[in-house]
Amino acid sequence: MKERIMQQSSLRSNYIIVWSEIVKNLKFLLAYPVVFIFWAIFPIFWFIPFILQGEAFVGGLQSQSFAEIAGTAEFIPFVILGAVLNSYVLTSLYGMGESIRREAYRGTLDYILSSPCNKAFILIGKALSESISSSIFAFTQLAICILFFGIALTIGVIIPVIFIVILLILGLYGMALILAALSLRYKQAHDLAHTMEYVFSVFSPVRYPLASLPLWAQILGKILPLTYALIAVRSIMLLNQNLSALYLEVLALLVIDGVAIFLGFYLFNWMEEKTKKSGTISNF
Amino acid sequence: MAHREENDVYTIQTFNLAKRFTKKKHKGIFGFLRRNQRKEKVKTKNSDVVVALDHVNVNVRSSELFGLLGPNGAGKTTLVKCLSTILIPDKGTAVINGFDILKQTSMVRASLGMVIGGERTLYWKLTARDNLMYFASLYKMPRKETKDRVEELLSIMQLSDRGDERLEDYSTGMRQKIAIARSLLHDPPILLLDEPTLGLDPTFSRQIRSQIKELAEKQGKTILLATHYMEEADQLCDRVAVINNGKVIAIDTSDNLKALVKETELVEIACYNPPPDIKMHIEKRLKDVKIVKLIHGDEKKGSPSRIKLIGGNAEKHISAVMDMLRQKNTRICSLNIGAPTLEDVFIKLTGAKLTETEPGELRV
Amino acid sequence: MNLKDTSGKVHKLREVKCPTGFTWSNIKAELRAIWESNIKIWKLDLAYPISFVRQCISPFVFLLPFIIYGLAVIGGRHSENLERLVGTGDVVTFVFTGYMIIGFIGTAVWAMGFSIRREQWFGTLESLYVTPTSRLSLVLGMALHSTIHQSLGTAIEFAAIYLIFGLALQIQGILPALLIFALMMLALYGFGILVSALSLILKEGWIVAEGLHSIMMILSPVAYPLIVLPTIAQQASSVLPTAPALVGMRAFLIENYTPQVVGNIFLHLLALDVIWILFGIFIFYLTDIYIRKTGNLAKY
Repeated sequence: MKERIMQQSSLRSNYIIVWSEIVKNLKFLLAYPVVFIFWAIFPIFWFIPFILQGEAFVGGLQSQSFAEIAGTAEFIPFVILGAVLNSYVLTSLYGMGESIRREAYRGTLDYILSSPCNKAFILIGKALSESISSSIFAFTQLAICILFFGIALTIGVIIPVIFIVILLILGLYGMALILAALSLRYKQAHDLAHTMEYVFSVFSPVRYPLASLPLWAQILGKILPLTYALIAVRSIMLLNQNLSALYLEVLALLVIDGVAIFLGFYLFNWMEEKTKKSGTISNF
Repeated sequence: MAHREENDVYTIQTFNLAKRFTKKKHKGIFGFLRRNQRKEKVKTKNSDVVVALDHVNVNVRSSELFGLLGPNGAGKTTLVKCLSTILIPDKGTAVINGFDILKQTSMVRASLGMVIGGERTLYWKLTARDNLMYFASLYKMPRKETKDRVEELLSIMQLSDRGDERLEDYSTGMRQKIAIARSLLHDPPILLLDEPTLGLDPTFSRQIRSQIKELAEKQGKTILLATHYMEEADQLCDRVAVINNGKVIAIDTSDNLKALVKETELVEIACYNPPPDIKMHIEKRLKDVKIVKLIHGDEKKGSPSRIKLIGGNAEKHISAVMDMLRQKNTRICSLNIGAPTLEDVFIKLTGAKLTETEPGELRV
Repeated sequence: MNLKDTSGKVHKLREVKCPTGFTWSNIKAELRAIWESNIKIWKLDLAYPISFVRQCISPFVFLLPFIIYGLAVIGGRHSENLERLVGTGDVVTFVFTGYMIIGFIGTAVWAMGFSIRREQWFGTLESLYVTPTSRLSLVLGMALHSTIHQSLGTAIEFAAIYLIFGLALQIQGILPALLIFALMMLALYGFGILVSALSLILKEGWIVAEGLHSIMMILSPVAYPLIVLPTIAQQASSVLPTAPALVGMRAFLIENYTPQVVGNIFLHLLALDVIWILFGIFIFYLTDIYIRKTGNLAKY
């Protein structure tokens, strides 16, 4: 008995938990092929209006005023990269919180919470599966954009971009953990996720450079991991900068990641205990 | 039942109602690869079609409490749905309160009140009053009458003081009472009740059953009660239709149906010191008794022996067996007669059990 | 209603009071059902206050990036190219007047389209369908609620944009613009009725809705004039009420706005109203029969 309990907390068993969670979630995704295809293609339609709007306002594909604050005159690649990276925000923020709600809706949450494993690893599994699916979707969207909107992609930038995306995802995981913790206790936690999505979409430079915002909004934008990831990825892909030149952005991302993940884990464990005591797990 | 005048006016009549469903099988993402294989299967075996109603003819008298008894998946819900115009039958039709379910849907709906078993048929985020007021408007009740009617129904359901609470704070039984109140809002002459006590605790089940009985007896409502609880059908209904695999296999009063299975009556006599050859004597004298058992008790410790007789007419057998035992100076301490139930009727008619269904069977 | 028994004796059946057909009392009853359905949804909405507040401010939040982006690409609020294309160069006013109707596309596609599906999810759909009220009234109740809700969001959006950026609108153009808006809404209601039917029979109905919403957004001159679209897309946009409505509304609301075609906008919208409403109702009734035949009403 003692051996079994020890075994449960071993590294291998935790790895199995994470792996099973990933396999389960990906199977759910593949069970709905239409949904899969939708997420791979449709987000492109959401940034097309921005491209057409830019063209109509500027009368061409380059804007000198835009170059002054964004560093690049080409607003179309700017918008596309913003949209593709922003898709990680959507899936990370909703994905984890929603997956908890879905378990509650299916009636499986109580069983998961009563299992002897560390729940944080289940969440890691959920988060990783969200990231895998997000990456598949982002890759497809980027491929379509390379084909149709003339985005240039050199092999050399792939590794630094993946590095930045991983740093972004870690920060988003931390925030998603906070949301997941809240969704254990509050029925309307998904409203909080929506609100965070609004904050990201307005205060991060998703569609416009940070400099076009008033100063107070720029300060708020600077505590969001997406801001630094967007600046870094655009610098690498559009301005051909090296990762070494972007050490400040990388450092900022690392700090945000650390703080968000620590807070997320702490809050989740605390809320789980609280929920067990008050018994409001399945009241969705 | 004796208290209600029997008549030949039928407020619910079905004419050869038939309905089939095609079960869709889960294909999965690679289902297209197996398409040819499946086509063959469909051709060779017609396993994807479920016959929910097989030319059903049921006539329910005005003011009658009529039971529809059958296991899950028998076709009860399909029949109720066809009658309520939610479902269009493949063949046949029905007449409700003089209106055809295919041609006069609005009048049929106005003539009906419906209660569906299960948790979520009302808005949990609304109060009981809000729920009833809203549905009253959908039943096209004049605004003036609505408020009084809602109050009246809440008071009948003994929920007046909790009428302003949201249904999410109600118990399952209380929610079901509100569902019944909703079905009565427009004072319809006919009620269709589909498993109204499903998932309720015994106290609420009893309350709901007595309310159903009152509605038929005091308010003269015609009630079609679909249930798989045989006690419910037995206790409440004037007549019962036994339904299985979409077919109505018998319609009669509960007593008449049970008379079909008189042979399953059980007589149990507890006694001390029964003669060892009593089993043989009984079998010799009472030819129609199918099974005779003698179970020896530990008589020294006060546990009597038992003689069990199954089959034949219990009333006729009792005196004969008592005489035999008295002649042998056997001390009799108790006598029990186990009457047959509608479950026995169902087993006799279908060969299947009423309360057991295959796991995962489709409820239609 | 009378019935004869087997002996030939005539029995009077209980009379049922329920107005039907094209009578005033029935129209009144259906209108009341529409109103009460609207009230019911308000009550359900207000049961989630945080969500309600969020929905009210969301039109503003969604509009903001379009405006800031517009300002960023031209380095100010005046676009010479836009002025050359449509006669006005004020991008803030142009984007606001376009974007304020996007929420109403959402009314048609999401709120109306999923009104019945939502009831299915609540588990109340069968209870609604056994009442004598027309199913269309239930959808229209949702449409009414969503229109009022969206108008509230648009008012907040207007106030916020007016305070932050300022708007140059012609006050005298508001009434005719509202008339165009009403005509557009009628066609969108027809569209919503159609989507509500589709959402019931398609398992992934939300994808259809999302797809239609995105396509309508692209084909409508919300943040840019139609002229920047490829010719085929411009032609396709004429079957949507949003394209002529936006051109017409801007013509009345924005000073110096010189749309290419204004003259026939009322007729164009009227024709679209008739087509979309009739087509929507036709598909709605076909679907209703299909669902009642297949028995898919309670499944989700």
